[in-house]
Amino acid sequence: MITLDHYLILAAALFCIGLYGVLTSKNALRVVISVELILNAVNINLAAFSVYVAPREAIGLNFVVFLMVVAAAEFGLALAIIIALYRTEDIGAIDTIRKLRG
Amino acid sequence: MTLQLAFFYLYALVAVAGAVGLVTARQLVHAAMCFFATLLAVAGLFLLLGSEFLAAMQLFVYGGAMTVLVLFALMFTGAAPHAGSPTRRSVRWLALVVAAAFFGLLAVAFAGAGWKISPAAPVDVEAIATIMFSRLVVPFEIAGLALTIALIGAIVLAREDDVLGAVKPAEEAGEEA
Repeated sequence: MITLDHYLILAAALFCIGLYGVLTSKNALRVVISVELILNAVNINLAAFSVYVAPREAIGLNFVVFLMVVAAAEFGLALAIIIALYRTEDIGAIDTIRKLRG
Repeated sequence: MTLQLAFFYLYALVAVAGAVGLVTARQLVHAAMCFFATLLAVAGLFLLLGSEFLAAMQLFVYGGAMTVLVLFALMFTGAAPHAGSPTRRSVRWLALVVAAAFFGLLAVAFAGAGWKISPAAPVDVEAIATIMFSRLVVPFEIAGLALTIALIGAIVLAREDDVLGAVKPAEEAGEEA
């Protein structure tokens, strides 16, 4: 029998691994992917809570759909910014990016 | 039930292994592929939760579109494997401690939470759609608007005559004058 705690612990593990990735990696692309991993962990939490705690109203599942939309928008914008930065100067590491202001 | 638990552990193992691969792989392409494995495992978890719709969305949006987007971005940016100086060892250890401490905090919080588990009810697409197109219809429209704006913004940002570079010469000229 899978309990709610199974999902919560797994999501927490994924969240913390994503947190580690955001904190340590210097490549902008990897940071963005790590943020997506964190969002995925949140998705698991929302879906699990919705199914286990309030199964009659699927509100948490709706939140997951909205979060996917927001994540997709954020991801597209982030990749566009990264590509624009690479084009202006050959920037690989995020700690060398000093200005985003036009 | 036991079979479900076995599949849960399988998906959990793949998800965690993929996540670890994402943060540790030296090549960015490998990291992207590890992330892809994690996304597939999460889709499996959604299936285990009984929500086929979310599993399908996960496969379409994350597994399909995002992975392709990452690979395209890698191609455009030349996929500098580990650009810049490597992260300092002290920073790595500090991040590890922070992440582990946060995980421990969450685990303790979950252990003492005592959620009220309701009896299971089928969660089909209809249940999602009923709420999304009645109570959440305004957020739904706003989400569509946000996606459109993000799409236009991404095109503007990533255009060939990029805006970030176009402004810079004018700024320098202004400083000289």
